[in-house]
This record gives sequence, C-alpha cells and structure tokens, in this order.
Amino acid sequence: MSRTTAKPEPTTPNPTTTRGKSWLRIRAIARRHAYVLVRSPHRLFDVSLWPLVDVLLFGSLAAFVGTNGATPAAKASGYLLAGIVLWHVIYQSQIAMSTGLLEETWTRNLLNLMVTPLREIEYLAGVAMFGMVKLFIGVGVMVIGALAFFSFHTWSLGYGLIPIVIVLLVVGWAISLFVMGLVLRFGTGAEALAWGVMFVLLPLSGVFYPTDALPTILQPIALALPTTHAFTALRSLVDGNGTDWGQIAIAAVGSIVMLGLAMWYLVTMLRAFRKRGYITRYT
Amino acid sequence: MADEVVLEARGLVKDYRRDRAVDGISLVVHAGERVALLGPNGAGKTTTLLMILGVVSPDEGAVSICGYDLAHQRSRAAECVGFAAGYLPLTERMRVREYLRLYGQIYGIADPNPLIDEGLDRFRIGDLAGAMGTELSSGQRTLIGIVRATLHRPRLLVLDEPTASLDPDVAQRVRAGLLDLCDRDGTALLMTSHDMSDVVQVCERVVFLSHGHIVADGTPETIASDYGHGDLKGVFLHLAGAHEPTGSQQSDHA
Repeated sequence: MSRTTAKPEPTTPNPTTTRGKSWLRIRAIARRHAYVLVRSPHRLFDVSLWPLVDVLLFGSLAAFVGTNGATPAAKASGYLLAGIVLWHVIYQSQIAMSTGLLEETWTRNLLNLMVTPLREIEYLAGVAMFGMVKLFIGVGVMVIGALAFFSFHTWSLGYGLIPIVIVLLVVGWAISLFVMGLVLRFGTGAEALAWGVMFVLLPLSGVFYPTDALPTILQPIALALPTTHAFTALRSLVDGNGTDWGQIAIAAVGSIVMLGLAMWYLVTMLRAFRKRGYITRYT
Repeated sequence: MADEVVLEARGLVKDYRRDRAVDGISLVVHAGERVALLGPNGAGKTTTLLMILGVVSPDEGAVSICGYDLAHQRSRAAECVGFAAGYLPLTERMRVREYLRLYGQIYGIADPNPLIDEGLDRFRIGDLAGAMGTELSSGQRTLIGIVRATLHRPRLLVLDEPTASLDPDVAQRVRAGLLDLCDRDGTALLMTSHDMSDVVQVCERVVFLSHGHIVADGTPETIASDYGHGDLKGVFLHLAGAHEPTGSQQSDHA
C-alpha cells in the first residue's frame, strides 16, 4: 500500500494565523479562570476581604505606632502601610498564577488541557493576564482602604512606585513558576508552599523595616533577595528621599535572574512530569 | 485520502520504575481507519495512548501525527488530534456552551458556536447547551467530552473507554455518532474499550496488547479465527488469562 506522509495543514474549521491562535488560547485561559472567580464567591475573599483585613490590621498598627509623634515612629507607620500595600503586589500576582495551575489539578482538568495544542507559555500568559485583573482589584481595595481609613495616599509616594511595583510583580510571577514546578514534581501535597513560601519571604525581605533589624546571620540572605532592595527603595520614597534607582536596579536584575531560574526549574519539572507519567495522579 | 498516514508510532518503550509498561509498540493508522486498542488491565493501552497524545514521553521510540513529530512539534500535532475519555470530568463552573467555546478557542477556532451546535446535534444533546457541567449525568458528560474532542474536526480521534458507564441507548448513540463522523470527515479513530460490542460495531481493525506488546493485529473476524474463538470476547478472555499483572504494575489508567 502506498502511503503519503506529506504534512497536511491542520483542518481547523476556522483557519486562524498562528499568532491569532495563540491570542485566542491566552484569552480562553484567562476567561476560564474568570468563570472560576465569578462563580465561586468565596474566592472573592482573596481579592477583597483579605486585602481589606490586612490594610486594617497594619494600618491600625501604624496608627498606634505613630501616636507617639516621634519622627522614627511616624516613619514606621508609613513603612507599615506602604509595605503592606506593595506586599500584596507580590502576594496577589503569585497566588493568582499558582492557584491557576492548582485549580486544574483540583478539578482533574490537567489532562484535558495537556492534550490540546495549548503551549505552556500560552497557558502561563492566560493565567498571568487574569492574575493582573485580580491584582488590580486586590491592590485597589488596599489603596482605597488605606486612604479611607487612615488617610494614607499611596500615590503621594510618586512615580517611583511604578518600577518598584514592576519588580515586585516579576518576583511574584517567579515564585509562582517555582511553586508550579514543585506541584508538577511532587503533586498537590506541595500546594502548601503556594502560601507558605510567601511567609518565608515576608520577614526576610524587610517589607516593614530595614533589614538591619534582622538577626545578623539572616542579613546576607535578605540582601540576596530582590524584594529586599525593592522595599528599601520603597522606604526611600516614604522617607521623602526620592527614587533610589541604585536599589531599584539591583532589584530589577535580581528579579530577572529569579524569573529565569524559576522558568528553568518549571521546564525541567514539566519534562520530568512527562517522563515519569505523573499525569496519572490527576486522571 | 485512505492512504494518508495520520498516526505513526515507532518502537515505543515506557518503563515505570521496575516494570516495563510498553515494550516496543509500533502502530500506523490511516485516515478514516477505525482501530480498537484492546487488552487486559495493565497491558499498556492507556500508557500507549498517553504517549500518542504527547502527555507522557516515551523512553524510546517516536510518534508523528499527520507528519508532525510529537517531540518537537507537539502543538501542531495536537491540532490534528481530539481526545476524550469516560473518566475525565468537564471543566468546573462552566456551562456546556461556555466549556465547548473554551476548547474550541484553544483549538484555534475564532467562532466555535456553529460547530458547537453541529456537534451537540450530532449526539442529540442540543438541550444541554445551557446546563452547568455539575448538573450532568456521567453519560451526558461523556457525550459532551466527545463533542469537545471533535469540534475542530481532528484527523485522529483518540477515545479511552468512551462508552464506560453509559446506558445501552446512549452508548448506541455514541457509536452512531462516531461512525457518522469518521465517514463524513475521514477522521481516523483509535479507541480503547472493554465493551466488545463497541469494537465489533465501530472498529474495522483490532490491535491486541498484552504485557506491553502487540500480540494480534487484524480485523475482528480474523483475530477471533486465529485464536480459535467465535468472537473477540473469547480472545480477550484467553489473553487476560495469560496476563497476570504484578502488584507494582500501573493501573488501567497508567
């Protein structure tokens, strides 16, 4: 029997360009996660109630610390409020992406997606795109809460906030890629890390205080984290010393290195996932 | 079109820890061909399917779909394939039409609505379009899964236990729908099933696996005759008797 192995074009009924297909897939994934959020009202807590609780908690602490009127105390209150608002940039971006993959494992949807033409990068872009929506809502709630309850105007810190926010966003994505890699390798048992890793990073990054306040033995670790330099730059803004581009540059380079390492780890774990047939955990 | 090779698997080998789940399977499927992959639990059927789908990578061997090498052009190859399994859930918190639209767009269809209607009509389940996935019976979910897998008119449709847990009338509707699809679009079918009536009614070729090897490949009648049985069920029982999976072998879904 004669055979032909010439490649036929895939017979998609509505032909679309490769770039068009990618964009369609990214939007489809973002919309899939929008349905999850809208139709699971308890998940709205992540972007509404918890940010509000955090701003009330740290705002009240800031108000208490600031009552003594001394300059260091006044600074500390600014550090607390600005710190918690910007901490949520990392938290929301990380959690949105990590729980995106976890949602697929919880609902045993991973195999459905893995047999489609969806590329890994398209999936990540779709989850990140919807994660940005959650980020805007979550951080928006905090900015409004800080203004309404404590008269703290986040944007009064100036445009220097923008590069700091971008660095923190990239770090949030990097952590989420690392968490995804762990979940692919070790299964849903590793999901506790999606939340736990943030609580390791929080004290080490000096979100609310200069890292000089940390035990000496931990300070070199803190200095190796891009988040430490981002929050140092934030405190410079709070202190009214303007944008500390030196710290922002260190943070930017560190966040890019972190993102690269996280991507390498995720790709390696995905390869192991396919090699060892871990999909059977989710079917 | 009948000579067009849509699936070519060469020398597939897969080890799980100390056991060899698949041991040198080679398989060629042509356009429009309807092939059943049969064998007892642990014979390597699902592992073979997962390697063909690119979800599990083979330790040795290669797969190409419509000429696209799966190892290097997975996304292009996947555009030519549809997959459904009786055990897979629908994506949660979505209505049926939303769910089908999601997968239509993942397959690159800008406006999947006409194809969704056509697919639902083929299996006479148009009334389910507005239902939430959680409201459906397992049989209805299976049908929706098949509609999803065929929205983009794949060259190769892979089905794992498509009629498991279906009522006889619904199972018959699935068989009729699959035959219609294969005849009309020239779609090749590769399916596993433990229901021999599926195989006899739908498939023109049967590939039997045992211990990760292909032990028989031919028409249902030829194989039954070669093994000295009146039907495929007898062959199945014969091979199952010779196949005693070890405790550490992969389950049926591995």
